[in-house]
Amino acid sequence: MTEQLLELLTTYGLPALFGAMVLAAAGMPFPSSLTLIAMGSFVAQGELDFWPVVLSGAAGAVLGDQIGYAFGRYGGRPLLAAVTKRIGGADKVAQAEAYSRKWAGWGIFFSRWLIGPLGPWINVTSGLTEYPWRWFVVLDVAGELLWLLIYVSLGRAFSDQVQTVASLLGNLTWVVVGLLVAGFLGWKLFGKQRVEAV
Amino acid sequence: MTRELLWRRVLMALFVAVLAFTGYHAVRTVGDAIYWNAHRDEPIERWMTIGYVAHSYHVPPHILHRALGLPPEPDRRPLGRIAHDSGRSMTEIEARLTYAIVHARPPYPPPAPPENISRPAMPKS
Repeated sequence: MTEQLLELLTTYGLPALFGAMVLAAAGMPFPSSLTLIAMGSFVAQGELDFWPVVLSGAAGAVLGDQIGYAFGRYGGRPLLAAVTKRIGGADKVAQAEAYSRKWAGWGIFFSRWLIGPLGPWINVTSGLTEYPWRWFVVLDVAGELLWLLIYVSLGRAFSDQVQTVASLLGNLTWVVVGLLVAGFLGWKLFGKQRVEAV
Repeated sequence: MTRELLWRRVLMALFVAVLAFTGYHAVRTVGDAIYWNAHRDEPIERWMTIGYVAHSYHVPPHILHRALGLPPEPDRRPLGRIAHDSGRSMTEIEARLTYAIVHARPPYPPPAPPENISRPAMPKS
């Protein structure tokens, strides 16, 4: 499946890159890092130009992110309201929203390039918690451009080792995600020295 | 209190699972770095173009074109497409390319320039 998709990308170039980035950002499982690094390699070989690749890829990703945001805002929010009305827990939701508002900006920015696998989820939760759309777009464009710049440049620099570099970056990304989650869980478990806990 | 205890146990199990997951990917990251550093050949895949394979394996592209019976002109089709268009299997394409690559590297003498280009246009390679 992914092989076939990558084949389409090699055949159709930038329009296919744009489309693939839309789908990937909207949450479709797709080897987007490998794609970007391969595109960087094609840039190094003179088959594609650097900026068109970066800009069309980032444009596709930003568009795809809006799908997730809209889904959370116009689909998820009414659903959540209906659920809390029926079974309660609106106070918990409000609490989660306040928490999310506090951290969402960082989450949006870093999930564009450093912790990419969380991106589609953060899009939906940003819409769900009504994170201001203008700020969402600003952080989204900045983060996606950074992602494209880093990955396409790496592909260009290490253009003969595309699969190895992509695999390394993929694993490294999961290490970062894992450390973040482990840090959060560890803080929950051991951080608060609860004296009264028996 | 039992509910709190249960909650703690669940969190603990998650914590351990996440640490194991992180460790696994850390080991794989190091493995990739070693592989990268050793500059080993990457397996040929169907999304790659002839140009990419030549670039990655450091061989002149015309020998790969010849191996597949194609004219020595830039061909931007991915290998999967070439396989489809020429009615060959990917395995055969891979085998032909690998054979050509092996025979273009030392112990074998360096490959000859593309022969079916007319004389005056030679300085290309």
